[in-house]
Amino acid sequence: MNAKTKIIVFGVLVLLGAALLAYGAFFHSTNVLPQQGGDSAVLAKSEPALIKEASVGGVTRDESGKIKQTYTGQAPAACPT
Amino acid sequence: MVPMVKKTRLNDLTSKLLGGRIWIQASFLLVWLDPLGLRWHSMCSPVFHCYACPLATFACPIGIIAQFSALHVLPLIAIGLLVAVGAVFGTLICGWVCPFGFLQDLAAKVPTPKFDLPKFTGYGRYVMLVGAVLAVPYFFGEQHPLFVCRICPAGALEAAVPNVVGQAIAAQQVVWPNAIKLTILGLFLTAIFFMRRPWCRMLCPLGAIFSLFNRVSAFFLRFDASECTQCERCHQLCEYGIEPEKTPNDLRCIRCLECTKCNPQALTLASIFERSKVTTAPTQE
Repeated sequence: MNAKTKIIVFGVLVLLGAALLAYGAFFHSTNVLPQQGGDSAVLAKSEPALIKEASVGGVTRDESGKIKQTYTGQAPAACPT
Repeated sequence: MVPMVKKTRLNDLTSKLLGGRIWIQASFLLVWLDPLGLRWHSMCSPVFHCYACPLATFACPIGIIAQFSALHVLPLIAIGLLVAVGAVFGTLICGWVCPFGFLQDLAAKVPTPKFDLPKFTGYGRYVMLVGAVLAVPYFFGEQHPLFVCRICPAGALEAAVPNVVGQAIAAQQVVWPNAIKLTILGLFLTAIFFMRRPWCRMLCPLGAIFSLFNRVSAFFLRFDASECTQCERCHQLCEYGIEPEKTPNDLRCIRCLECTKCNPQALTLASIFERSKVTTAPTQE
C-alpha cells in the first residue's frame, strides 16, 4: 500500500468514525418501555442515555423483542454482571 | 549508493518517550480513574476499563457493544469511536494508554520466569470478539454465562473486588461474584506474573479490533531494509514473539516500540503525514 492510498484509507476511516460518533451522539434514539405500564408510555432514549442505562444493567430486551427498563424509580447503582 | 531514510522528529520524540512508557501509561490513569468524579458513563472510552469500577470515568466500549448486541441495537458511538481512534493510533492505544495493559506490564516487572505463548493463541481475541461480545449476547442475551462481562477479568478485578471490599468495610452483606468469575480472576492474577500481557495477547476483544487497523493506521512501524544488519536484535527486544522486520505491522503487535531500540534504527515509528527525507548513503565496498 503506497503513502497516498494509506492517506485515503485513513481519511475515509476517520470520517466514517466521526460520522458514526456524531450521528450516535446527537441523532440516534431507541424506544424504551418502562418496567411497568403499557406501550403508551414508551420513551425515546438517545444513544448516550441508553449507554448509561446499559452500563448499570438498566435495560433488557424482552421476549417480544422490545427494549424495557429493568427498574422503576432510581436506576441501579452498578452493573449486575 | 543506497537510499537511506533520515531520522524524523517523530523518531526523536519516540526515542525520548520510550524509556518513560510506564510513566505515560500511569499518567493516563488520571483520565480513566475519574479523579474529578465525572462518572461520564454516557460516553465510551477507547480503552478496556470496566464501567462497574467505582473509579471509571467512561463506559467500556466492549461492554457497551455486548450490551447493545443483546438489545439488538447498533452501538454507533462505540463503533464510531473505535474506528476513528483505531484509524489514527491502531494498537498504540494498547501499548501506551490502556489501564488494563498497564496493570499487566507492572505485573510483568516482577522477576518470575516468563513463559511464551504459541502464535495461534492470538486468534483467541477474534473468537472472543465474535463469540462473547457479538454472537452470544445477540442470540442468548446478557444472562448467558458466556456473555463477555460475566467472564471478563477486568470486571472481576476492577468492579467485583472493590465492591466486595466496599461491602465488607461498610458492614453490609457481602455479595460474592460467582465461581466462574472468581476462577477467571484467579487464573488471570496468576498468569500476569508468568506471561507478558496474557489477556491482551490471547483474549482481549478490544485489542482484536485495534489490531485490524495496524496496517492502515496513521502511525505505523516502518522497516527500512537498507538499514537492517540482520542482527535479529529486534527479535530479542520484542517481548511478544513477533519478528518485527518480517511483519512490522503484525496483528499481535501492541506497539510498545521496544523493537525501535535496535541500533541501526531499521525499525522506526512513522506516520502517514511525515515526509521522510530520503538521502543517499555510500555503499560498502
